Amino acid sequence: MGRRRRRVDSEAGAGAWTLPEVIAALSRSLPAGPSPEIFRRAKFDRPEAAPALWRLLFQVLAPLPAYGPSTLPAPAADPAHTVALTPPTFVRLRPRGSGHVLLQGPACRGSGTAHPGRHWPCSTLRLHPWRLHPLPPHRSPGSEAQARLVKAVLRSQGYPRPVLAQLPEDGSQGSRELLLALSWLLAREPLIERLLVQARVQLGDQVPEFKGAEWTRGCPLLPLQGEALASCGPPTSHMGAQVPTDLRYVQWLMGKLWFRWRHLISSQQEQCALLGKIHLYTRGCHSDQDLGHLSVTETEMLRDPEGGQQLLRALGWENARLKAALEWRRWELVFWRWMDTVPGICPPDGPAAASQPPVLPRIPEPGLGELERVAQEMQALHEELQEATATRRVAWEAQVGGPGRGPQWSAVRRASQEAVEQELAALRRSWEQGRGPAPPQGHRLVRREGSSARAHGLRAAELTGPLREQEARLQAALRQLQGQCQQELARLAAALPGLICILPPGR
Amino acid sequence: MSIVTVQLGQCGNQIGFEVFDTLFSDSHSSQGLCSKKENEAYQASCKERFFREEENGVPIARAVLVDMEPKVINQTLSKAARSGQWKYGEHACFCQKQGSGNNWAYGYSVHGPRNEESIMNLIQKEVEKCDSLSGFFIIMSIAGGTGSGLGAFITQNLQDQYSNSLRMNQIIWPYGTGEVIVQNYNSILTLSHLYRSSDALLVHENDAVHKICAKLMNIKQISFSDINQVLAHQLGSVFQPTYSEEGSFHYRRNPLGDLMENLVPHPEFKMLGIRNIPQMSENSLAYSTFTWAGLLKHLRQMLISNAKMEEGIDWQVRPPISGLPALGKMSLKKELRFNTSIANLVILRGKEVQSADLEGFKDPALYTSWLEPDTAFNVWKTQRAFNRYEKSAALVSNSQFLIRPLDMIVGKAWNMFASKAYIHQYTKFGIEEEDFLDSFTLLEQVVSSYSNI
Repeated sequence: MGRRRRRVDSEAGAGAWTLPEVIAALSRSLPAGPSPEIFRRAKFDRPEAAPALWRLLFQVLAPLPAYGPSTLPAPAADPAHTVALTPPTFVRLRPRGSGHVLLQGPACRGSGTAHPGRHWPCSTLRLHPWRLHPLPPHRSPGSEAQARLVKAVLRSQGYPRPVLAQLPEDGSQGSRELLLALSWLLAREPLIERLLVQARVQLGDQVPEFKGAEWTRGCPLLPLQGEALASCGPPTSHMGAQVPTDLRYVQWLMGKLWFRWRHLISSQQEQCALLGKIHLYTRGCHSDQDLGHLSVTETEMLRDPEGGQQLLRALGWENARLKAALEWRRWELVFWRWMDTVPGICPPDGPAAASQPPVLPRIPEPGLGELERVAQEMQALHEELQEATATRRVAWEAQVGGPGRGPQWSAVRRASQEAVEQELAALRRSWEQGRGPAPPQGHRLVRREGSSARAHGLRAAELTGPLREQEARLQAALRQLQGQCQQELARLAAALPGLICILPPGR
Repeated sequence: MSIVTVQLGQCGNQIGFEVFDTLFSDSHSSQGLCSKKENEAYQASCKERFFREEENGVPIARAVLVDMEPKVINQTLSKAARSGQWKYGEHACFCQKQGSGNNWAYGYSVHGPRNEESIMNLIQKEVEKCDSLSGFFIIMSIAGGTGSGLGAFITQNLQDQYSNSLRMNQIIWPYGTGEVIVQNYNSILTLSHLYRSSDALLVHENDAVHKICAKLMNIKQISFSDINQVLAHQLGSVFQPTYSEEGSFHYRRNPLGDLMENLVPHPEFKMLGIRNIPQMSENSLAYSTFTWAGLLKHLRQMLISNAKMEEGIDWQVRPPISGLPALGKMSLKKELRFNTSIANLVILRGKEVQSADLEGFKDPALYTSWLEPDTAFNVWKTQRAFNRYEKSAALVSNSQFLIRPLDMIVGKAWNMFASKAYIHQYTKFGIEEEDFLDSFTLLEQVVSSYSNI
């Protein structure tokens, strides 16, 4: 297991931190960090330290959106809802039923467009993204499911030690192994920084994350949401005889998905409309002239002082974590020196452990047959290709007249090398473009009037353009796939003479 | 989230008025058997869904009224305004000077395209006044000329223009012994078109409601107004505000979406029936008390035996013993005794609603083999009483309720079609025999799907 090497701090002696202090800083910077005592016990593989470390690893590997902002997938690109640079249309605000609250904020600066008497629609209550709600108990997964997830994620990230996979999932053992796993994760990447970025408290309204590009080419490992885990039954590590599922049930589920998707779209449209209204009505209220209007969080803060206190607390916690992270970075060498001693006291891997093959996910029986067939086909293809290249190479050599010599030959070679490199670069560029723009991180959504050009910031049109292109591409792909399905169906129907196939009423 | 109602034709407009009237008067009733705060939340939720407010005025129903002749619309508008409690929007109606003579093809091919822009504009204006749109109710009959043909056309347009919004058609099933000779043609054309463009078809059978009026409400001279009030009561008991989940005390924001997700996600099974218990005249109401156990026992038997009301239930019908083939697979010629359900939704309102025991509805024998009762059965419980009934239960069911009526209509229409009777009235306006055949195919398929669950 590698780890980053640092120059030994020359003033390590003066004012240096002790190991418990450093570990405490590490714990403070992580979510659900256990006490230094747990770490110490884990070094000696004490069972009582195991549950805390399982929990810690779970929080680190599958961060649940319990604290901090939730980000929505990209809304459908809808011209009515682009925010920047469209002249605002006047929207009449009707007084709502029992939910309206008078805005009594600080005096709004600005060009006199403040409206102290406005009534707010009570539906803004649904828009606060930073509210601190720990997941209700019945939604966080149990400890077994947590352990399973931790093992699965570590395995997929390439954790080298097989001992972890063999730990029991009831969370009672393996604290030393978990400690090693944690330090492996810390050493590979700036883990703490990444977690902090994900859990940031947002004050402004965020531009939603665009996951489009990743979805089109197969998702990398996404953190599993708590609900999906909670519904995991007992592990089915092997597929026995597959129970045939009734097609109608699958259609039923598809239909449910379709309804939920439509509900999501309408909710997003509603959210956009309300966001627009809030931005419109708080014009001139923000102390930062550049922004010009309040975000939902800021509006909530004014409306609801109690909520403002909660926001303050969230910011305070974030600060504490940031401080702890800085302290950790300063003194982490102490920790690594100590960690160096841990593998030394591990029991040596027995010959059985060493010779165990890496644990592979078991493939269901019918799948295995398919894979073999595919492997055979690939082998045949490979041989074919090799033959083809061999004949071409012979033909080319005959043409060229043996390996070339002399300056003329090297010039030709250089030219062809350059041509190849150019083609490769062009391919790479087109692939990059196909991915779409790099998703903008951390942009705040701001409504601007007129066409005043600002130096910084992104215009909504720049984002919606590539999204529309992507939408068009996906639509085309969908149509093509649908066409393929139609052809397949037609082929199947034709294969059975005398059978009339009536397709169900399409959408 | 709001629902925009499109009232079509004579049927649609008269029923629509009763629906809004019932919704409004229930939400403002003082006999909700709940706290004042609770009542206010109920009112607010109902209002957001079905009404909108203008300054210094009474609430305005979120509705668009469409008819080809002005008489019924004017009556409806004035009745609403007379109540002084709520009204329709001033420019929310569209009518022409002439009717369509019960000709489906005329409604679909002539009235529809000719007036498409005006009608869709009206709907668009109403939609714009919603903060968020849940979906559309389209109230129409399937056997008449205006309501049915135009309704099919408009539903299709709604599908094209508002593809992400939900569409539920409240359809009025004609009397078996109807007066219009081509009502079966109209019905099959309407149903087949709606099946393609609507998300759910909530069926109200005239025959059934008529019987309820006669037997349960003891009305001697049954007028359309009585029938429509019973219908409105049934709809109100489903769509008035309900709590979102066990133990949470917020009213559900998207009842239409939740209902559809639970009952009609499968594209082949879209027909819903509605049963309500208890139903009685106002005079008797004051002297009756009920227990949940009694109500639910009757409701369950109504479901199983396909009874339309709580009187005259056939208690002999029992669920099939597991292991034996379901009785539903018999041919339709025999009496279809046991009614298998695909999915059911029970909505309970009133006193002590938390104590109601619904285990009887979770019996797997009631449902198909490919859906677990956990998925297939849902219940919504709300404390606040509805329409002065101390306890009331509504059942919205996706089951074999409608196989017989549907099969009868298709059979009669086919007999007429086989002898080409009256077809020229349709081909004159662009509805070819091909369209008829397509409709027959689709509906036969629906009947077959439901028979083989």
